[in-house]
Amino acid sequence: MFKQNKFTVSHAPFWHDGDSINTMNLNIMAAALPATLFGVMQFGMAALGVICLSIASAMAWEALFNFISKRPITIHDYNAAVIGIIFGMMLPATIPWWAVITGTFVCIVVGQQIFGGIGANPFNPAIIGIAILSLSWKIFFDFDAALVNYQFDFTALSPLDALKHQGPEVVGLFTLTSLLMGNQIGAIGSVFGAGIILGGIYLIIRGYIRWEVSVAYIAGIIFTALIFNMVDPVKYASPMFHLLTGYTLLGAFFLATESSTSPVNIIPMIIYGIMGGVMTILIRNIGAYPDGTVYAILLINLINPLIDKIRPKTFGKGCNQCVK
Amino acid sequence: MIKRSFIGLTKPKLMCDLVEPGPKEPESIPIPPRMILLLNETLDSTRESLIKKGDMVKKGERIFLYKDSQEYVTSPVSGTITSIAPFTGDFGAVATYFILETNTTQDIDSNFTEFAGTPDIVTADRYLRGIPGNPPLKQLADSANKINKIVITGVDDDLMCTTRQYLLTRFRDDISKATALLRQLTGISDISIAMPESMAKLSAFNGMNMVKVASDYVSSLPQMIMVNHLGVNFVPGKTCEEMGVCFISVEAALSLVKAYAEKLPVYEKIITVIDKKGKKTRVSAIIGTPIHRIFTHIGVETGEKDRIIIGGPLRGTAAYTLYHPVQPDMDNIIIQDANDIPLISDYPCINCGNCVRICPANVPVNILVRYLEANLYQDAADSYDLFSCIECGLCSYVCTAKIPIFQYIRLGKHELTKIDSDIETEAENV
Repeated sequence: MFKQNKFTVSHAPFWHDGDSINTMNLNIMAAALPATLFGVMQFGMAALGVICLSIASAMAWEALFNFISKRPITIHDYNAAVIGIIFGMMLPATIPWWAVITGTFVCIVVGQQIFGGIGANPFNPAIIGIAILSLSWKIFFDFDAALVNYQFDFTALSPLDALKHQGPEVVGLFTLTSLLMGNQIGAIGSVFGAGIILGGIYLIIRGYIRWEVSVAYIAGIIFTALIFNMVDPVKYASPMFHLLTGYTLLGAFFLATESSTSPVNIIPMIIYGIMGGVMTILIRNIGAYPDGTVYAILLINLINPLIDKIRPKTFGKGCNQCVK
Repeated sequence: MIKRSFIGLTKPKLMCDLVEPGPKEPESIPIPPRMILLLNETLDSTRESLIKKGDMVKKGERIFLYKDSQEYVTSPVSGTITSIAPFTGDFGAVATYFILETNTTQDIDSNFTEFAGTPDIVTADRYLRGIPGNPPLKQLADSANKINKIVITGVDDDLMCTTRQYLLTRFRDDISKATALLRQLTGISDISIAMPESMAKLSAFNGMNMVKVASDYVSSLPQMIMVNHLGVNFVPGKTCEEMGVCFISVEAALSLVKAYAEKLPVYEKIITVIDKKGKKTRVSAIIGTPIHRIFTHIGVETGEKDRIIIGGPLRGTAAYTLYHPVQPDMDNIIIQDANDIPLISDYPCINCGNCVRICPANVPVNILVRYLEANLYQDAADSYDLFSCIECGLCSYVCTAKIPIFQYIRLGKHELTKIDSDIETEAENV
């Protein structure tokens, strides 16, 4: 018999568009860079330390959990790194190192790995980390107290806390341009609005996040804040102020758009986004917390599986007997 | 391989290749000394077969395995059977293959000749099954199907394939004969010709019932033609034939014309071979020729771990041996270099939604694949529209997690069909 080559045999399709989870995650990290780098410039090396520790410890937790649960080590897909960088972006620069490590433990292990890892998490892991951390050590998330030792050449007040405690007259202290350009106090990656928007637009163009979610979320914010503002301008701040402060923009482009926890069909994406925006403003204006983004996104993550059942009619289903 | 574009916002639009202008005549592959014939029936060692090792067969003789067999394969040459063995195909499909040593003297079995003067579907089904293009004569002859429309497809149903388009342009003057013959055979008057939009301008097709198919990928699939152009509704889980539409490739129609003109079955199959660099060569080979004969004749090389794709890149099947024979429906052979083969992964779905956005049938692929991975085939069919899938393969092509979704879908359908047929057999036995 002749010596025969062995051929690769598998099922169709034999082509792939070349995309992968690695590429997707690297792109998300690249998109997060402008806002993060600005945060590092604003808050100094301490911020860089927090971001690096956050990414590193997130990857370490995932590797450790993979090892303990005897599953293949999956940190090479950068999923933990993405959770790490987004989690780090939501922290103040002065947070102690142990809180970062505890936070990433909650993100990676409690938020994702115990549910089965990538794709199986019911809630955005970074949001779970922030929610638990901010409930447990509220003091670290008081940005005014956290950054008290910094000298800034702009109004050194956390806009949303000021709004909560002193009323909308403080809004006059911040111009929209300065908020957009990062002249505000807040978490490392959430202050530079223009950078987040830039990253978000990049991800939308590359197709790594679904633009419907971001647009609907922002529309929900603007719409609800506008209604409140129109009803009582003395009591409630303007929509643009809400849009450019707190975690709002991070929420619109990096948190609400996390793929496993957001819907994929058009109508559900719109409902999901708008509900996120509405809830954020409701919590801010009526609820107890200065920034409602975290809890709003947890809520919409919760309804995601239910609303994603609204889907277009499948080919050949429905009206089979009717004349076309 | 077409890669994702930098701008991923719009969904990728894959275009089918159009046949090159002024195509060359296909290279003729000489009749090999040893042929391989595939018969679509299981070899059962406990039964006595009609055909044995060492038997002589004539050119044009139909080979039946058992006395009550319905399936047959027509021998394209006269020769001696040297081996009979079982063959396993896609999804465990079982068949039997015969190895035939070609004789130097060619005896011709002329059973068909006496019927060739009066074309009718029963004798066509009895003698011409498995001629190049594989005409669906069995379905047409089966009166239970109630077929009322025939579409001669001159469009290829996968990327890179151009064989049907080539035949449509090359033999365009014979198309009207094919229509007339099919009308005479079946008594069905509603016969249309599906062709690429760009080709519809050719004057040869004037006065014919034309279906102009766009050149983007899924438009050329039979179900899409049926729904978009014929106004017939697609019913999940039913074939086009069950809906009354029969698709017959242009090659099959032309082979029928030729067979009735020559009063003998025909065996020359036109195949487009695409080598690793994408160079296309069209060849004409006798059905049963092992594909390595084609490769050596036209100088195409295959290496270790390459992939031999029969059909197109999105819907084809992979051959595991160079002794795979030329089949009646083998329009295309693509050699894919080992380094170009994309890997699949065992990652779970990350719910990115690419598959949902690209699915032409609006199947909720992201949920469906979770059910299929958990072997919940019945639930997948009941709640998540497994049978609405028209098998285009695009979901796997765009999957970020590289899940073999298309394979899961076909497996799910296969398993459910198997369960159904098992239940039927049991019911019959009670």
